[in-house]
Amino acid sequence: MSQMSKKKLQLPKSVLDMKFMKRSKDRIEKELENTKGHEELYSNIITNEMRSATGNYVSEASFIYCEDLLEGRLSFKGMNPEIERLMELENAIKNGYGDMKKDVSDEDLLRNVEKLRKRKSDTTTPSQYVFKKQKTR
Amino acid sequence: MKVSVGDVVLPGDYCEEISAAGEKSKVIVGPGLQKESNHVYVTKAGVLKKKNPNTYWVDYYQKRYTPARGENVIGIVIQKAGDIYRVDLGSSMSAALSYLSFEGATKKNRPNVQIGDVVYAKTLVGSKDMEPELVCVDSYGKKGRLGVLTDGFLFKCSINLIRKILNPSCPLLDSLKNEWPFELAAGMNGRIWIKAKTMRETIALGNAILGAEYLSDEEIKAMCANIASILAGHVA
Repeated sequence: MSQMSKKKLQLPKSVLDMKFMKRSKDRIEKELENTKGHEELYSNIITNEMRSATGNYVSEASFIYCEDLLEGRLSFKGMNPEIERLMELENAIKNGYGDMKKDVSDEDLLRNVEKLRKRKSDTTTPSQYVFKKQKTR
Repeated sequence: MKVSVGDVVLPGDYCEEISAAGEKSKVIVGPGLQKESNHVYVTKAGVLKKKNPNTYWVDYYQKRYTPARGENVIGIVIQKAGDIYRVDLGSSMSAALSYLSFEGATKKNRPNVQIGDVVYAKTLVGSKDMEPELVCVDSYGKKGRLGVLTDGFLFKCSINLIRKILNPSCPLLDSLKNEWPFELAAGMNGRIWIKAKTMRETIALGNAILGAEYLSDEEIKAMCANIASILAGHVA
């Protein structure tokens, strides 16, 4: 990748030989020299492995992610209610919120909405009352 | 030697399947495998396993714990040293557990942890060469399931057994959970702490766990049923 981008930046030699390009030519030559020096300077540190390394390998020293292991702290039949509550919470998340128990069933919701609508049509402005209540809080 | 997934592998073997996958996409190289410049080499004797997508590891037998990051372990406090506790994990080096890494602990308000206490903690830093560091809180500062384990009974086993019983497909905990009340903490360092209401129940639980190591799923179910019936007094 880096080699390709370097090549892209280079101007053709014929252009660099022109008189007005002298300063650019010097600069480019200097840069080239510098990078050459780097390669030599660090040649004993930079290994082939570093040159060919890719970011595709993620090393993981633990089995828990490989084998999808459970949390190791468990309690059953009410031995430790604190742990059991945590286990329940975790199960609920794992099963997705769709499977969570509904606090209000669909029928209840429908009934309540109907009731609310009726009340709205009966009374004039319940919004005033709500506003007051919030203010006192 | 060239090996593929599912084979019995030895240290020094290499797997081209992993290298090929690594050229196209991200690969997770798990325990027992090591990436070198040209190949992915096996460093442990065991069975090469794969999980989709692109997770490879070696399933090997081991009793000595090598710390890894993010694992829940059971340690024994062996020393109070300034502002840390030294905790024995059974690894090559004792771990450090800061007294501030407990829920609600401050500089003035130290947690009540004594030498000899058993703690269930998470490894924050874990590598095979350095001193591991433990915490007893999660990133929100809540203790969750971690902390000091009081009462109960602690025993050691192989690391494979821990992995076996914590595997979601293992029937051991499923068959025991409805039999009698008990509490269990399994550390990835090969230690299990159990607590039940009576000594008989504790012993039964310990025997059930230790007995499960070399049994198949069906055998584990039968064993659990057997132990439960003995405990209930149906069988002498």
